[in-house]
Amino acid sequence: MAEARQFGDLATQLVLESRRSTATDTLLKYNDPLVRSIIREQRDLERAADPLVLQSLDAPEGTPPPPGLIIIQTAINRNKRCLLAYHSHRVERFRDMYWAVGGALPHILSNADIRSKLSPHEVDYLRQYHDSVMEYRADLGTNELDIMAGIERPIKDLNVLVKVVKDCGVIQTELGSIDFKKGQRFMVRRADIEHLIVQGYLEEIV
Amino acid sequence: MADWDEEYNRTFGAGQAAVASGSAPPANPFLERIRDVARDDDDIDIDELMAPAGIQAGLFDRTGSSTQGEPPIQQLIRHWMNERHAPDILPIQEQLLASILDHIRRQSDAVQLIRSDPGASQEEHFRIVLVQTEIERIKFIVRSYLRTRLFKIEKYARYIVSNVDIQTRISASERAYASKQAKILDNHFWVTVLQSLPEAQSHLDDTPIFMPPMVTEPDKSRAVFVHALKQCPPVILPDGSSLEMAKDHISLVPFSAVENLILRDEVELV
Repeated sequence: MAEARQFGDLATQLVLESRRSTATDTLLKYNDPLVRSIIREQRDLERAADPLVLQSLDAPEGTPPPPGLIIIQTAINRNKRCLLAYHSHRVERFRDMYWAVGGALPHILSNADIRSKLSPHEVDYLRQYHDSVMEYRADLGTNELDIMAGIERPIKDLNVLVKVVKDCGVIQTELGSIDFKKGQRFMVRRADIEHLIVQGYLEEIV
Repeated sequence: MADWDEEYNRTFGAGQAAVASGSAPPANPFLERIRDVARDDDDIDIDELMAPAGIQAGLFDRTGSSTQGEPPIQQLIRHWMNERHAPDILPIQEQLLASILDHIRRQSDAVQLIRSDPGASQEEHFRIVLVQTEIERIKFIVRSYLRTRLFKIEKYARYIVSNVDIQTRISASERAYASKQAKILDNHFWVTVLQSLPEAQSHLDDTPIFMPPMVTEPDKSRAVFVHALKQCPPVILPDGSSLEMAKDHISLVPFSAVENLILRDEVELV
């Protein structure tokens, strides 16, 4: 703790990142160095608190705890809260991302840009999250209702005119299987290809 | 919401036009076939989907004094709106959902049957499109309803696993989902933060003074707009005064004050 800064400065920086992420609606890269330095600060604080704790235990009954101890404990609690808030904020963003692409986890994880911003633990979290959602979907036990499809706009037409933006191979539809090749246009049943629009393979022509 | 209403009107408006221009009922092969295919006693059968006037009257003009006799679709819409507006998780409508999903299944089967019939007329195909569209739109509501619940369950997962009361309001699969969510989030916090902290700090459930609790709970004091469906018994507001709502009265009140009225279907959230 040689640098001239206050306890909790780093944690403030971390929370500011979360704020920035919300304000700009972007996922920022996982700030591993900053998280690590806050955890180091926590250990330093714990070490600084130890002698004070012993001292207050030795003190006669009724003596208030040393003020230094209270300050250190406040800093510890605050740092911890900020660390958890930062991670929890990121997790919320992942959930939004996950549902925005209709639960297509490979689609998220194969995106190099997103992948580079995740920590390995966060990738694990997303996988577990995906498993959990899939379990729920299996529990529903209905083929009629796709829980993963969009809930932002109610559909207006059964069929939709789409433009193929990226090749996506042969897809089974109501009209038989269609090989979607870039640049082609199709009139298809919305329910059959909704997930491809969500994932950016097809584009709706309005 | 306005968009939805407008769409709803348009869809049913189109349905009405189709019925009006159709041939006389006895000579209508479509309706006859439908009658043979799936006779069911629930309320949302094809006849009803094709009879827009009845539905619209039910939806927008609540002449009945209560929600008794309300068609399942309107019940669904009401529960869906309530769920979307309530800060807390409301009791799941399992029976209603089951009957609607069941119905959708039978309707889809009927549609498949008519579609595969080469003798089906142009007009029948037109009607099928309307029915299919309506099925998709109902699925949309069911999906939105369930997803709204999932969103809240994720948010309050740790609270749910420790609270027996709220567990009675969610379905078995939702309970499983909640405990799984709570578990993976705990685990995520543990591997990213807690395990690296000194032993004394590595617990998630500490309750430091002067800080909000670590577990996110539903904020029942959040203000909601309620619409009284009938004459309601008086409710006590947080400042101690009481509020008695007459039928069709609309009020902005804290959720906790009207919680019981919502459970008894005496008000709806708007």
